[in-house]
Amino acid sequence: MSRRIAFNFKLVLLAVTGIVFLFPLVVTFTNSFMSEQEITLFYRTDLSYFDVLEGIEQRFISFRLIPRDFSFAQYRMVLIDRPMFLMLLVNSVRITAPVTIGSLIISLLTAYGFTCWKWKHKEILFFIYIVVMLMPLQAVLVPNFIVADWLGITDNQWAVILPGIFAPFGTFLLRQSMKGIPAECYEAARIDGAGELRVFLYVVMPQMKSGIAALTMLVFIEYWNVVEQAVVFLRDFDLQPLSVFLSRIADGRAGLIFAASTVYMLFPFVWLFLGQEHLEKGIELSGIK
Amino acid sequence: MTRPVGGEFAGLSNYIDLLQSPAYQLGLRNTVVFMGLSVPLNMLLSLGAAMLIKDMGKFKPIFVLIFLIPLVIPSGAMVFFWRMMFSRNGFINNIFDMVGLDGINWLNSEYAMLTLLIIFVWKNLGFNLVLFLSGLSNIPKEYYEAAKVDGANALYTLRKITFPCLLPITVIVLLMSVINSFKVFREVYLLMGSHPHESVYMLQHFMNNNFHSLNYPRLTSAATLLSIAMVVITWGLLWLERKASHE
Repeated sequence: MSRRIAFNFKLVLLAVTGIVFLFPLVVTFTNSFMSEQEITLFYRTDLSYFDVLEGIEQRFISFRLIPRDFSFAQYRMVLIDRPMFLMLLVNSVRITAPVTIGSLIISLLTAYGFTCWKWKHKEILFFIYIVVMLMPLQAVLVPNFIVADWLGITDNQWAVILPGIFAPFGTFLLRQSMKGIPAECYEAARIDGAGELRVFLYVVMPQMKSGIAALTMLVFIEYWNVVEQAVVFLRDFDLQPLSVFLSRIADGRAGLIFAASTVYMLFPFVWLFLGQEHLEKGIELSGIK
Repeated sequence: MTRPVGGEFAGLSNYIDLLQSPAYQLGLRNTVVFMGLSVPLNMLLSLGAAMLIKDMGKFKPIFVLIFLIPLVIPSGAMVFFWRMMFSRNGFINNIFDMVGLDGINWLNSEYAMLTLLIIFVWKNLGFNLVLFLSGLSNIPKEYYEAAKVDGANALYTLRKITFPCLLPITVIVLLMSVINSFKVFREVYLLMGSHPHESVYMLQHFMNNNFHSLNYPRLTSAATLLSIAMVVITWGLLWLERKASHE
């Protein structure tokens, strides 16, 4: 009996915490369906003439969860009437897609080299990989900038994409996952005369499905949320991803921001619902051991 | 203008210049303070959440999902909400006003650090939670059954089984939390810009701003010191983890 009470107590505690955690998203989502007038009513903080007459000294923002009249006007504005939003969204895709795919290919190969080959100084090089991985972006700004300058890609999305593709994190994560494959597997294949490409494609790759899914997920989430790199390397507004400009896109018009944010959130959301276990796997793998 | 490549050997003068710079001292202090507060706070809360979620049976995946959602939401998508929440006339001050308290300047005063802690924990709790949950599920069931047979109470079981078994993963969570605590810069930058209130001016602000003002010697000296600090911390914690998992 007391176990049941304890269970229910925990359940309620978690449910309340969960509601608090979801509150910001629920507000963003439901308010994106509000009409412009309703939004103005709730998010206006400057005093009007009537407020002064009625003796109101200060107006506060209050959140309303359910829109009074349901409207798609904000979405129409964001998706059709204002091409700027779509342009920035496309920029986000143009940065995230190459980084996700590119880093996956590079990391699979490097992780293979680190796991399935024996060579001198492997451990030392890998430790350097980890150290580079731990650096916050600002610490590697100068070397990144020098390389971008040398390649002639400053003020170009490639200045954000290339460091993303060659980031050591992917190698680290896939190596963690590849270490789970028993060495006998690829050694047996080698003894049977399979070349490295064959071993990689037909022995290692089929066992990497969950590692690949986990990395894809983590890299996508990271680059869909890209801010610092874009701010530093892309001076040109036309090249910016939406993640930088979500809150400024609509000169402070709340309804548009909510609608744009909802559209932007939708992408990682779909990913999360399709592959929650992959994200969990990715987090577990990224624990440095 | 200083060029990043070339130039001549300057000895330690860049480092002396850096360490004497008030902006560097401020950024370093705030970063250390934020780490010192956010890391234990996030670890305690996520451990608590993991202990609760562990026994939830069929509800377990749903709760994990709820705490993972903030992690995947792009920071920019929440900036406007946080502003509405924490601004002078925001939602929180609205509640304060209703219960008769004075409003607080959440974004541009000493309280900005608290605001950041709230946002940081909201966003990053799920990460630690998953690690702790995997640590908890790795504790052999037999340990608990044996404790039960011996008539150990809940507190005793917690102290003698759960915590010791969680020690290795706790060190890993600690290391990841230190690394992840740098990510708060994204929120500070989006919410408060490149020159926020001095209580939340981070090391990353210092480096970012020096990059924009083309002061490369300062930036690279700061980056070098940070790299050394990170190597020492990582090495130390990995050593600790190895020790913890052998005992």
